[in-house]
Amino acid sequence: MKILVKNLAVLTALLVTIAAVAQDKVPLKTKLPPPLFVGTPVPLNVTNLERPTRSKRPDFMVPAGTANLARNKKVSSSDNNPIVGTLDMIDDGDKDGNEGSWVELGPGKQWAQIDLAKSANIYAVLVWHFHSQARVYRDVVVQVSDDPTFRAGVATIFNNDFHNELGLGAGKDLNYVETYQGKLIDAKGVKGRYVRFYSNGNTANKLNDYIEAEVWGKPAA
Amino acid sequence: MSNSAFQSQWTRWTAFLAVALFGLLLRLPQLGARPMHTDEAVNAYIVGQLLAGENYTYDPQDRHGPALAALAFPLAKLQGAKAFAELTESELRITSVLAGTVTILLFGAAVEMFGFVPCLIGALLFAVSPLPVYYGRYFIHESIFVAATFGLIVTGWRAHQTHSAPLGALAAACAALVLVSKETAVLHFFALTAAAFVFWLWNLRRTHLGNLWRPKAALPALAVFVLLSVILFTWFGSNWSALPALLHAVPKLLARAGGEGHQKPFWYFSRLLIGGWSGGLISALACIGLFLALRKRDPSPYGFLAFYAIFLVVIHSSIPYKTPWLALNFWLPIALFAGLALKSLWSIPATTPALRIAIPAYCILVGGIAAVLIARDTHQRVFALPADETNPYAYAQTTEDLLGLPALIELVAHQNALAAPRIAVIASDPWPLPWYLRHYSQVGFWQPGQQVGQADFYITSTEAADQYGDQLKDLHPDFFGVRPGVLIVLWSPAPK
Repeated sequence: MKILVKNLAVLTALLVTIAAVAQDKVPLKTKLPPPLFVGTPVPLNVTNLERPTRSKRPDFMVPAGTANLARNKKVSSSDNNPIVGTLDMIDDGDKDGNEGSWVELGPGKQWAQIDLAKSANIYAVLVWHFHSQARVYRDVVVQVSDDPTFRAGVATIFNNDFHNELGLGAGKDLNYVETYQGKLIDAKGVKGRYVRFYSNGNTANKLNDYIEAEVWGKPAA
Repeated sequence: MSNSAFQSQWTRWTAFLAVALFGLLLRLPQLGARPMHTDEAVNAYIVGQLLAGENYTYDPQDRHGPALAALAFPLAKLQGAKAFAELTESELRITSVLAGTVTILLFGAAVEMFGFVPCLIGALLFAVSPLPVYYGRYFIHESIFVAATFGLIVTGWRAHQTHSAPLGALAAACAALVLVSKETAVLHFFALTAAAFVFWLWNLRRTHLGNLWRPKAALPALAVFVLLSVILFTWFGSNWSALPALLHAVPKLLARAGGEGHQKPFWYFSRLLIGGWSGGLISALACIGLFLALRKRDPSPYGFLAFYAIFLVVIHSSIPYKTPWLALNFWLPIALFAGLALKSLWSIPATTPALRIAIPAYCILVGGIAAVLIARDTHQRVFALPADETNPYAYAQTTEDLLGLPALIELVAHQNALAAPRIAVIASDPWPLPWYLRHYSQVGFWQPGQQVGQADFYITSTEAADQYGDQLKDLHPDFFGVRPGVLIVLWSPAPK
C-alpha cells in the first residue's frame, strides 16, 4: 500500500510538471518577507475553513514571462488621506511586516486600486494586509476591470464577503488568517487594467491595512 | 471650632468636593463603551453569581480578594440588576468610578499631612490625568486598592499623631480593605513599614517616638483588621476554607511574580508613566518634589512618602510580572510630589520686582501647558481610543471586533427562527465570552478535546476547531478578534 501511495505521489508530481511544461508554465517566484509571528494559527482540518500555511506554499504555476505588473504603478483609494503611510507603499516592493511598511486606510469599507497602465492578462494576485500578528481582514474582495470606476466589465476574482456587507454580492471564498506569505489569488488569466482591493476592517480594529500587493500577469495582446 | 477654623474647613472641603465632583463627571461618559477586558468579565461573573444568590468563594487563582465584589454587588442591586444577564458594563464600572472619586476626596483629608496647595493640585491631577481616569473606569480591584491604601496612609498617620483609638481602628479597617482587595497588599505593607523605618532612621534621626505601643489603641485596631479580613474573606462566615486558601495564595503569588506571560523589563513602569504628551511633565514635576523631600531631610510626612514611593517603585519594577494598572499605585506619590513641586516653585522668594512677575507667570505657564497636555492625553487614551492597540493602557484589551460576535449570532438566529439558540464554546481560555453570551440561556463551555453535544452555533479557538471537523463542516466560519493576535471562530448555520 505504502509503495502504491508513494508511486502515486511521484506520478502526480510528474504529471503536474509535464502539464506545466506543456503549457509553458513556470512557478511564480515572489520574494517573501521574514515571518513576524509564530504559534498562531495552527493548521485547521476543517473543510470550510482555509488551512493556514505553516510551511512554504506549494508552487503556483503561471505562464512563462509572467511578471509583477503592479510594481510602482499608480494607486488610488477610497481614502485619499490614509491614517498611516502613503498609497504608493502598496506596490513599492516592501513586504516587511514592521511599522513603516504599511499604509492604513480609514475605518469600515475601503478600497485601494492599482492602475497597471495597460490592460493585461492577470494570472495571480498576491496581497499582504498585515502580518506582524494573527489577523483576519473582513470582506476581502478583489476585482479586475478595464473601467477605472468599476461600473462595467468587472470580474471578481476573490470574494469572502459572505454576508454581502460591501454590497458587491455575497462571496463564497473563505476567510483567512494573514501571514508573511500573503494571500495568493488565482486570477485565471482574467483581462483588465485596474485591480481593486476591498476590505472592511479586521479582527483587531476597524481599519484597513496594506503592506503590499502584486499583480502577476502579461500585457494583453 | 473657632469661626475662622470653620471657614477654613468649609473652604477646604468645598474645594475638594468640587474637584471630586469634576473627577466623577469626567469618569462617567461612555462608561460602557470600552469592551470588557477578560479580568473585568471574570469579576462581572462573580457579581453575577452573587446576584443569583450564591455565596462568594475566595479563589486564590487569579481572582484576588472579595472587596470588589462586596462593593459592586450592592451597587448593582441598587441600580436594579437582578441577574448576570441583566448587568451592564456601566453598572459594574461605577464601583471603580466611585472608588476613584473617594480617592480624590482623600486628598482633602490629607491636607494636615501634606498641605492644602499640594493636596489640591494632587487631587486635580488625580481627577483629570489619563492613567487615573482610565483605570478609574476599569472594573478591577486597583481603584479600590489605591483608595484604601491612601486611606491607610492618612488615617494611620493621624492615628499615630493623636494616639486615637477610633482613628487606629479606621486605619486598621483601611488596611483590611487593602488586603481584601488584592493579596499584593503584602508588598505595600512591606513598603509602608520599610518607609516608616527609614523615615525614622534618616529624617527623624532616631528620635524617641514616645510610647508607640499603646495597647488601648493597638489592640482594637488589630481586632478590627483581623475581624474585617476574616468576615470578608470567609464571606460572612459562609466559607471558612478561604482562610487556608489565603495561605495557598502565597506560592501562587510567588510563581506569578516570575511573569507568567506578563514579564516586562525593569523600566516598564517608568516608560509608561512618562509616555504621552503629559507624562514627561508630570513625572518631571513629581521628581522635583521627590528631590525636595529627600534633600530637606525634614520630619514632614513628605519624607515618609518619598521612601514609600521609592520602595514601591523598586519592588514593582524588580518583579518581572507587570501590568499597566499597577502603575495606578504610583499615582498617589506622583500627584502629591507634583503638587509639592508646583507649590515650592510658586513660593520661591521673589527678591526683585522682575522675579515677582516672572515666578507666578512661569507657574501659570507650566500649569496651562500641563492642562492642555493632560486634556489631550485623557481625551485620546480614555475616550477616543480606549481599546486601541496603540493605547499603552489597553493591555490585553478585548477588541471592539468581538462586539460583532453576539450581534452576528442574534442576526443569524433571527434569520433561522432560533428563539433560544444553543451555543457551544470550545476553547481552553473562553474569557471574556461568558460576558458577551450572558443574554443566551443555552450556552455551554467545553475544553478542546471534550465531547461536545449538538449546538446551533459553535465558537472555537483556531486550535480547537481542528478536532471538531464533522460537527463544523456544514457551518459558516467567521473570525473574530478577542485580543490583539488572538482569534476565535464563530460557526453559524446558513440562513434559511
